[in-house]
Amino acid sequence: MDTGDNAEPEPDKCRPDQGRMPGNQCDGLDDNGAMMTSLLALLSGLHSRLKQAIAGATVVTLAACSASTIIVDGSYPSPLVRKLPLTIGVYYPEALRNFAYTEIDDNSGKDQYIVQSGNSQLELFNTVLPALFENVVMLDSLDNANSQNGIDAVFVPEIAEFQLGLPQKTKLKVYEIWMKYNMKLSKANGDYIADWVMTAYGKSPQENMQSVDSGVQDAAVVAMRDLAASLTLGFTTVPEVNEWLKANNYVTE
Amino acid sequence: MYSVYKLIVTLLAVTALSACTTTEIDEFRQGTTSLTAGESIVILGRRQNNNYETEGNFVQCVANIVGSGKDGITVVPEQEFLDAMFPFFEPRTAPMRTAHLKELMEIDQAKERLAKYGIEYIVWLDGLTQRSQQAGTISCTIGPGGGGCFGFGTWQDDSNFEAEVWDLDTLESVGSISTDSVGQSYMPALVVPIPLIARVEANACNGLGNQLKQFIAGKN
Repeated sequence: MDTGDNAEPEPDKCRPDQGRMPGNQCDGLDDNGAMMTSLLALLSGLHSRLKQAIAGATVVTLAACSASTIIVDGSYPSPLVRKLPLTIGVYYPEALRNFAYTEIDDNSGKDQYIVQSGNSQLELFNTVLPALFENVVMLDSLDNANSQNGIDAVFVPEIAEFQLGLPQKTKLKVYEIWMKYNMKLSKANGDYIADWVMTAYGKSPQENMQSVDSGVQDAAVVAMRDLAASLTLGFTTVPEVNEWLKANNYVTE
Repeated sequence: MYSVYKLIVTLLAVTALSACTTTEIDEFRQGTTSLTAGESIVILGRRQNNNYETEGNFVQCVANIVGSGKDGITVVPEQEFLDAMFPFFEPRTAPMRTAHLKELMEIDQAKERLAKYGIEYIVWLDGLTQRSQQAGTISCTIGPGGGGCFGFGTWQDDSNFEAEVWDLDTLESVGSISTDSVGQSYMPALVVPIPLIARVEANACNGLGNQLKQFIAGKN
């Protein structure tokens, strides 16, 4: 056999169905070698999967450490009531427009959930008030009220208190929300008419596998509908409001 | 080995036959009922109670039963009705007695809206399903060689619902139908849990829905 540079290559001793391994050995000729190759391939695959798993677990852990934000988003039907013959100026305080409630974790003391309901609050009042009064004028500030012609009264809603009941704390299968509002009604020049408190309550449907987001959403929408119903049917029954409405002949009873 | 399999199969058969439900339906009629073409009903869940509220799924189930079949009745969807009649049927404001219904019908807007939907009867559903007599334990483990569960659990479910029917012409209650459905469920676990669940609420829904359909149509 010629082993020099011009030597002919060795005939392929492997069968056509066998591959070549390092060291010019054929697959199948050496079972131990084949097993090693498979094991190496498996370990290589596991290594990349392990890296992916560690990366994923890190992301989840970091996400769990920060508070979850829940943005309340609901639509509210227009109340089916007769309108009061009034032109109302409405002013939404900053605290109402950007209202956000933070639930604290009892164990760690850190923020657990942040419930942002400002936009939903505005949507609620913007649905109810035009159905309750003949004309509604949005005010940028209370100082503008007197300069606006034809405003009979100014209405200012504020959230005084917000409470959230989570199943993991209350041991119930429902999410609950309580809200306390302070409603103020004054004349266009700022003179006092009425100042009263309204409460609203809502709870989510009872379900076993409900997510926090959907539970809080359901409870919040029910609570706001409750407020809308109370305000719509109870506005004229507030004693000072009723007295003022009668004195100005806006209602007869 | 064969005898073990036979034992397992026998146990499963016995428990399967036992995981059934008994349902009792009572009807109390106070007035005549009938529906003509173009008329409809609405089925609402009572949600005034602090401790529980009638599940929306059950209300929907009964509405589906009443509205199905050749003799199906037109049922206005609950949420559509609540939105259309807002704020008169919210948990805080819904009429609790027929006297309140009379007051509601004095409000022109409410009366017109009800007439627009052609609603002849309002059906109030009130009740819940309670679980009791829970016994047994199931333990599950998982390890490198595999996993599985072993044990046995059992519990009893009791679905108790009542449907009260209000007539919007007479503004009176024309009757009520109550259903009590009880069933025992089993969960043997031999490597995998085998749920043998008594479909208590489904049976209550079927029974109540069919009876209500017959009642509204005046066939009982």
